[in-house]
Formats: sequence, structure tokens, C-alpha cells
Amino acid sequence: MEAKYDFTRKFQDQIIKCSRCGFCQAVCPVFGATLRPAYNARGKMLLLKEVLEGRLELNQEMVETLFQCTTCGSCAHNCPSGVNVPEIIKAVRRDMVNIGTCHPAFTGMNDVLAQYGNIYAEEELPDFDHQRKEKAPVAFFVGCVGLYREDEATLATLALLDHLKVDYTLIEEVCCSGVLEDVGYSINPDLAKKNIETILATGAKTLITGCPYCYRTFHFKEQYKPLRDSGIDIVHASQFFKDQDFGVTTDKVVTYHDPCDLGRHTGIYDEPRATIKKVAPNFVELASNRANSLCCGAGGGARGAYPANSLAMARRRLEEVEASGAQVLLTECNSCVHNLANAKLRRQKFRVMTTAQFISELLEDA
Amino acid sequence: MDERIKAALTEIVGPEGFTEALIDLVSYATDASEHSHRPLCAVWPTTTEQVAALVGLANAEKIPLIPRGAGTGLSGMAVPHQGGIVVDLARMNKIIEISIEDRVAVVEPGVVYATLEKALAPHGFVFPPDPASGKAATLGGNLATNAGGVKGAKYGTTKDYVLGLTVVLGDGQVMKTGTRAIKSSSGYDLTHLFVGSEGTLGIVTEIILKIAPKPPQSATATAIFDDLADAGRAVTQIMSSGIIPSVLEILGRETIQAINQNTELNLPEVDAMLLAETDGYTQAECEFQINKVIEVFRNNHAREVKRATDPDQVAELWKARKSCYPVLARLRPNFALEDITVPMSQVAAMLKGVQEIAARHNVQIATFGHAGDGNLHPQILYDAHDRDEKERVEAAAGDLFKLAISLGGTLTGEHGIGLSKAAYMTLEHDPVAMASMRAIKRLFDPNNILNPGKMALDA
Repeated sequence: MEAKYDFTRKFQDQIIKCSRCGFCQAVCPVFGATLRPAYNARGKMLLLKEVLEGRLELNQEMVETLFQCTTCGSCAHNCPSGVNVPEIIKAVRRDMVNIGTCHPAFTGMNDVLAQYGNIYAEEELPDFDHQRKEKAPVAFFVGCVGLYREDEATLATLALLDHLKVDYTLIEEVCCSGVLEDVGYSINPDLAKKNIETILATGAKTLITGCPYCYRTFHFKEQYKPLRDSGIDIVHASQFFKDQDFGVTTDKVVTYHDPCDLGRHTGIYDEPRATIKKVAPNFVELASNRANSLCCGAGGGARGAYPANSLAMARRRLEEVEASGAQVLLTECNSCVHNLANAKLRRQKFRVMTTAQFISELLEDA
Repeated sequence: MDERIKAALTEIVGPEGFTEALIDLVSYATDASEHSHRPLCAVWPTTTEQVAALVGLANAEKIPLIPRGAGTGLSGMAVPHQGGIVVDLARMNKIIEISIEDRVAVVEPGVVYATLEKALAPHGFVFPPDPASGKAATLGGNLATNAGGVKGAKYGTTKDYVLGLTVVLGDGQVMKTGTRAIKSSSGYDLTHLFVGSEGTLGIVTEIILKIAPKPPQSATATAIFDDLADAGRAVTQIMSSGIIPSVLEILGRETIQAINQNTELNLPEVDAMLLAETDGYTQAECEFQINKVIEVFRNNHAREVKRATDPDQVAELWKARKSCYPVLARLRPNFALEDITVPMSQVAAMLKGVQEIAARHNVQIATFGHAGDGNLHPQILYDAHDRDEKERVEAAAGDLFKLAISLGGTLTGEHGIGLSKAAYMTLEHDPVAMASMRAIKRLFDPNNILNPGKMALDA
């Protein structure tokens, strides 16, 4: 019998392998914020097992849990049965989009992207007062959140590059919808191709991006193979800054939030810490860190689709910051900054910013 | 479901405390066992008063109530196999009090074991019985199953640490039992009737736990054996040597192989491996004990004995041990994880018996367990779609139980009876004991609404 849904073909074995031990409940950020087992990875696997066995059809009632996962990967990291839940969730969401049972927050995303070239339906591509050059040894790719939502973080990153006298250029970038793969869509090969052409046209030897998700996309997605094959060095801003000397230090107590896309998904833990410790030796770790880091709640479409629970997840992360006694929470992902800053309570006196913003401020004060 | 009952439930717990959504019914249909059945609905109470009102309603309407913690239990005790209302206690998760002076912690049932562990750590204290599922499992669930863990041989199980309870009985009355004094000889020990009662006698809403100081030092050693029986004899001799290790675990060949597939530990794939930890207040104390253990290892033909000194490696070793059963579960589509427990002198006989039973029924049984308290975890791996294999597995499980009982042991050391072992209750308990248990059940839950069908109490 032919499989009814695509996800069953690829992930049947994994779903069956879930031993229902429930150990994921200890690390799932959605469960942690809601205490509702149906939202936990095990709850999702139980549901999909019934779909797999033909006892249930994918339906609108399941959107509530299947679209409520940040794809942070902490369940997969801790799963003794080796079930890669985020990949399964992404595949199921593709099936759900195909049969028209997508979460309403994401319906029509393809159309928005085709019309505007970004996920926010913004008309104009900002230039951050930087003229785009035809040629430069370094190209900088901002990413959607940095372009349209966290422009201060982007300005700070660019200010650091300027301070370091890096010869770089912004490019006429578009969103290739790589991030929409998390919510059931596919990467748009034409837009990816456009990005690759624009990047390579600059003749750059290094591509820096400020966005961990874009970094992941460039490094791991099939559509960006030509970019990788070109020999260009693709780095996240935190990797680039690690080897730089900013000549400033502070005695402020600083901590760091590992973004899922930079940490668990790509294994970049040390570089951001190296940069931070150079300027802020009073560095403290959060209770959960590195591969065990608690998710900020923004990813996987959770912020768009379930804003209240997304903020509740961020608040749990901020409680760890409070307990650490840090004055500043740094991270490397615009999306994390956005959600964590929004969730911060008035009594929580620490600041939330990107490492670039922090260093940029220190330079201004110096 | 019946709109009148739904309205009454919503009245008690509020609309946000009630669900009959498909996603919840599916997630509440199982625990970590193979059993599965959807409930009618589920509720998330937050106070003793709400629980009392829920039980009162269910008693009047004669609807089953199935209390639930994290659903990490392995014998189906949280599975609503007669339908009914799941009472998810996860939101009653406050640590009410930690008193180092009195050596007690007062908690609600939904507090996760690891949360209490974290709260006690700065004081140098611990709640010793740590089940492998402790990062997710709740203390209410630990109480309901009388959970154990790797520290059982030296530090006992949950029952050794429960001082008092607030519990809602089957007719909705609230009863307080026990005391916050460390000892008491006052009246019947009602508290301990509820420990391990699997939610069949009442719903516990507050627990007074005894806590213990955590010895700060430890020493770890491992030994590998070509013959499972040698390992079994080593266990018996260690436990009668005058030394009580804080942990003494056994891993069989399949378990070692599965761990190697899941970690970088590269354990030697031999017939059996023993892991021992001794603890104390000085390193010298730990060394003295571990050297005794090592001597016994050597006297019983251990092929290799190793001291694990790197703390990261030790942590990795224990993490691997705690993930045994889900890791083994990867090997075949289904499993039955048993927790038979035998007197210490019978560990070798039981280990040998497990091998014989596996061969006799042509089934795959991986073994590991808390050797130090005679608690073994034979995990039978199979494919439920293969009916013949499934029947052989059931026969093998029956033989395991019979053997454990014939050796003077018990059906379950720490997982409880639930649904999985209900059919074997009379193997262990004589008719008078069964009649007494059923009489107690009727006393506290006259209409049999609390987790009915578990522990063979209905008959």
C-alpha cells in the first residue's frame, strides 16, 4: 500500500522507535511552559503513530500541537531512542500544508515571499546607510529579522565591521524561504539561486551572515551547494569576530544564551564565548547551556502562531538569567534577542542584546 | 461526553483546567508501557479542594478517575483502560517547604524529582531514591509506584522517606496521615498504605518527605566478566562483605551493545559488566570501600577491573546506565521491561534463569539492573506484529515471574503492578493477603472509582 503521507515514508521507523519513555518532557520548552503532555515531543509522536497506523487522519485538531514546536532539537539531543523529532515535525507540516491544514499564521506565506522577497511583506530593502558595492572581499548577508525587526542589532554588527576596517558590502538579498521549511514550506530554489548569484557577483572570498538560520541554510541546504562549491568561506558573524581584537573590556557580569540554530543545530558554542570572554571576563554560564540550552521560544513558527506560549518559554529562559546574577544577557541570534527582550519583565534589570551590540556600546563609551 | 458532567468538571477546575481535545486524549492514553486506551477527558487540578471536588463528583457519578504524574511508569498504572477522567497532577508542582533543620521537604505531587534534587543541592541534601526517569518523573508518581533507583541497596526506596500525606479518599474526604517528625509509633501506619498503592486508594495532594545529607565524596569502579554467573556471585559476595556500595549495577551483553551504539563509551562487549560506586565523607573512606569491592571482583574471575576517575567519564557512565531501557527499545519494535527482585543470595540463580528462559522460549532478553538490591530488569525485546513471538514473550514473562517467586523474590521491585503484572498478583500473594488488599480497597474507595482494574483488586 502506498503511504498516504510523505512523512510516513521517511520517518516511519523513527516514529515507531519512540519508546514512550517521556524523558523528552524534561527538556521540551513547550511542555515546560505549558505542562501539557500533548505538546511534548512524546505527545506528538503518539499522535503521529496513530496516523501512521491509519487510526487517525492528519486534521485541523492536530495543528494545535504539530505546529506548536520550536524545532529547538533538545528532545532529539536527549532522546535515548534516537528519534529526531524536529525533522519529523517539519515533514509532517509539509504534509499538512499540502492538504490545506496548515496553521493560519502561515497560510499564503509563499505568496508573500513571491511578492515582497521577504517574510514580513516589507516593501523596501533597508541599506543601513551603507552603499552596496559592486565588488568587495567580504559580503554581508543580514537575514530577515535583522533587516526588518532588529535593525539596531544589524547596525551594531555593521559598526563593528566598520570599526575593524573590514572591506565589505551588503547585497541585494532576498529571503529564500529557507526558514519556512520549519513551518511546512519548501525553500524557493529561484530565490536561493538569486542570492547565490548576488553573493558571488561581489567576488567576495568570505560571506558573513548575522543570522544563525541563514548560516544553517547556506551550509546544509542542497539549494546552496553551488555557493559552497564556489569555495567562498561562509561564516557566522560570531566566528568572524572571534579572531578580532576590539581593545575594550568591561567588568560587567555577562552571560550567554545559545541560540538553537547556532548551538544544537550547528555546533557553534565556543566562538561566541571566546569573543565575549575577551571583552567581559566576568562571564557566567546559565543553568542550562550549550547543547542543553533552553530554547527562547521563538523558533519553528512558535512566535508567529502561539505568541503567548512563545513568551512563556522566553520567560523560563529569563528566569535562568535572573538566577545567574548576570547584568547583561548576550546572544547571537536576532530572533532570540527579539523574543527574549519582548518577554523581559520590568523587575528583571539585566539587559538583552547581541554580542555585537554590547561590544559596539563599549566602543562608543571608550 | 455527557454535557452535564462536563459542565460540573469545568465548574470545579475552570475551563482552562479541562480538556477533551483529541491531542490530549491521545497523549493520556498511554504511559511508558505497551498499554493504551483513551480516557473520556482530562483535568488539571491545582488544589486539594479541587481534587476533593473531582473525586466527590466521580464517586457520585461512578466514573473512573486515573491520577497521573509524568506518565513515565512502565506497568500501565496511569493508562485509563476503562476510560474515565485522567487527573493530571503536573500543575500541582509547588515545593511547599524545605526544612533542613527538620530534615523534611513538603511537596505537591506534581513536583518533578529533578526539581526537588536541584532545590536540595545547595543545602548538601538529597532525596535519595532516584529513578532513572527522575528528570521527568514526578514525586507523586514515585510515591504511587514506590519507586526505587540505583541507590536502593544502600539508601532504600521511596517508602523509606515518606513521613506523611494529605490524601483525598475515594468518597472525596480529605485525610491527613503521618507526621513531620522523623519517627512515629502512633496508630496504624496509614501513610505507608498509600505508598505503592498506584492511585487505587486515594489521590495524594501533599507529601512530607524525609531528606538526607548527600555524602560529598565517591569512588567508581567497573568490572567485566565472561560469565554472567560469576558476576552474579560477585554481587552476592559484595553485599555480604560488610561493605554496602551506594550503587551496584549490572549490565548484560545486549545492554552493553546498545549503550555502545548510543554513546562514545566503547564498553567491552562481554557477558556482564558490574558498575560499583561507593560514597562517603572522605575520599579515604570511599577508597577503602571500593578496594573491598574490587577484591571481590577479582576473586570472582573478573576479566578486567577498572577505576573510573575522570568525573566526566563517570557522569557519562551513569547517564548511559539510566538510558538503558529506551536505548534497548531501539533494537526491536516492542519491549516488556520487568523488574523482578530476588534475595541477594539468589542473584546468580536468577541471572542464569533469565538466560534459560530466553533460550527455552526463543525470545531476546536483555538484562541490566540494580544488582545490589537483587532488582533485575530483564527487558524482553520483540515485535508485537508477530503473534507467535508475542505469545512466546508472554510465556517467557510468566516464567520469569514464577522463577523470581520460587527464589523467594517479588514480581516488582520498583515499577509496580499496574496492568502488566495484575494477572500474576496471586502468584505472589496468598488468598488471605489478596482478600485483605481488596478489603482495604473497598474501605477507602467503596465505589471502585480510583484507578480501577489495576493491581487485580476488582475481583
